[in-house]
Amino acid sequence: MTSAESDEQRIPEDAMKRLAEMKPGQKTTLFTSDLSVNEFLLVREAGFRPLGLVLGSSIYHVGFQFGRWSKNQELDVLSNAMYHARELAMTRMEKEADVLGADGIVGVRLEIEFKEFGNDLAEFVAVGTAVKADQPGQWRNNHGQPFTSDLSGQDFWTLIQSGYAPLGMVMGSCVYHIAHQRFWQAIGNIGQNVEVPQYTEALYDARELAMSRMQAEAEELRAEGIVGVQLLSLPHRWGGHTTEFFAIGTAIRPLREDHIISKPQLVLPLVDS
Amino acid sequence: MTGNDGEWLPQSARDRLARFDAAGLHTSLLPVPGAVGIESVGLSPVGEVMGCIVQYVGWVGGSSYGMGMSGYGGGMFAGSVSYQPYVDAIYHGYNTALARMATEAKAMGADGVVGVRLSLSRLTENNQEFVALGTAVRANSATRPKRLFTTELAGQDVAKLMRAGWVPARIAIGIAVETRYLDYASRSQMSMMAGNTEVQAHTQLTNTVRARARERFAKQAKENRAEGAIVSNMSLRFWHQEVNSTPLLCAESSVFGTSLARFHAGRTAPTRALTIMPLR
Repeated sequence: MTSAESDEQRIPEDAMKRLAEMKPGQKTTLFTSDLSVNEFLLVREAGFRPLGLVLGSSIYHVGFQFGRWSKNQELDVLSNAMYHARELAMTRMEKEADVLGADGIVGVRLEIEFKEFGNDLAEFVAVGTAVKADQPGQWRNNHGQPFTSDLSGQDFWTLIQSGYAPLGMVMGSCVYHIAHQRFWQAIGNIGQNVEVPQYTEALYDARELAMSRMQAEAEELRAEGIVGVQLLSLPHRWGGHTTEFFAIGTAIRPLREDHIISKPQLVLPLVDS
Repeated sequence: MTGNDGEWLPQSARDRLARFDAAGLHTSLLPVPGAVGIESVGLSPVGEVMGCIVQYVGWVGGSSYGMGMSGYGGGMFAGSVSYQPYVDAIYHGYNTALARMATEAKAMGADGVVGVRLSLSRLTENNQEFVALGTAVRANSATRPKRLFTTELAGQDVAKLMRAGWVPARIAIGIAVETRYLDYASRSQMSMMAGNTEVQAHTQLTNTVRARARERFAKQAKENRAEGAIVSNMSLRFWHQEVNSTPLLCAESSVFGTSLARFHAGRTAPTRALTIMPLR
């Protein structure tokens, strides 16, 4: 019998022994986490230990601003609201992680939910798993805060393997009012295939604003780059012409000079996915 | 006797167990990958098991019987109403369903139940049904755990954990309900003219109720000398209520998950991730 086989046979025996030892009322240190099993195991393999589930939330009343009917413009009251509320939620989550003595937070989910009660009320919530590195090192970012990352455990593992470390989640938000077409303009377009420059410009403008704000945040963290960027248009509840453009990603820094990962093996899965 | 406890099983369930004994047929709710997964770590399915209870929840606490204000939860709140009877009832429902499921599994000679699905459905306004459904498994080992292990994790996940030196221990549940008086300040923070502002009443309430639920979850998970817990589901529900014409804001938070115990000896878990690229 090979050692691998005997190892495998020991698994149920060891597991059941451990369960048999368990008694209520014994003191222990416990971590909680909302990682999936895959993520949990990969985060462990990457050399990090989960400390606990951390969470920050803020219920925010989003103010009110009229967009001029025929003008492309950023609605800065709304942009500010989205920024401020997300910042509150993120900061509270970071504080919880700080209390646990974490080096970072992985698998962060940042969600907004407009509540059915009360107009313009939204809950901003940030949830993640605080982790600590097995090897002590400089993991916190240049603000002395634990790093944050919205990457999944799988992506986090790959990132660490390839010699990069996350610095922090960076985001940029821009709530934009897209002008309505003037009456004569709309009439003039009937029956024609034409670009509507006004709309094109508006969408460009809004996305560029969101992305450049995200970039500015990454520069501030002295990041080498941003990975896993999502560029979202979130209509929320402001009607067809007012949209939030939201860019979010994880800023990273290099851990070493070379960034080579082992060549992946190719497999042919026997299941559809 | 209709027991209120987990030991009691209805006649039909006992009949099924007797049939199971006689026939020796092994059944399972696991999909193929789950079944193969648990087989690979020395667990074999014995049969599907269920626990169920229908509860009449007539008294949720707080306002229903005109109790009015009671207790001053959290210290900083102007006044809050206790929903403890409701929380107790929900806990009782889940715990009984899980215990009845465990009773069935024990009768089959199982060591644990994997892939447990917990559900709560409202039959009528006050009647709630709690169901726990899972696949009982038996370990290929000489040692028997004193208490069944239960987990919401799928068969594949159990296999991956056990290969890495962790074993699921128990399902842990954290539920909390908190209420808060909506004072003038917070109502004005929600008015049209308020502008951008955080609404304090709601924020504090969500933070308190989530913290309570997480505390209870961690406490349950800790009871068994477990070293970790994986949260599978976390939810939050809000509602408004008037008690003696006082506007109240209520929130319920629930956290479900499985506690884990470690059996690998070294400092780090013996995982060996293989980088693969699927060709499809």
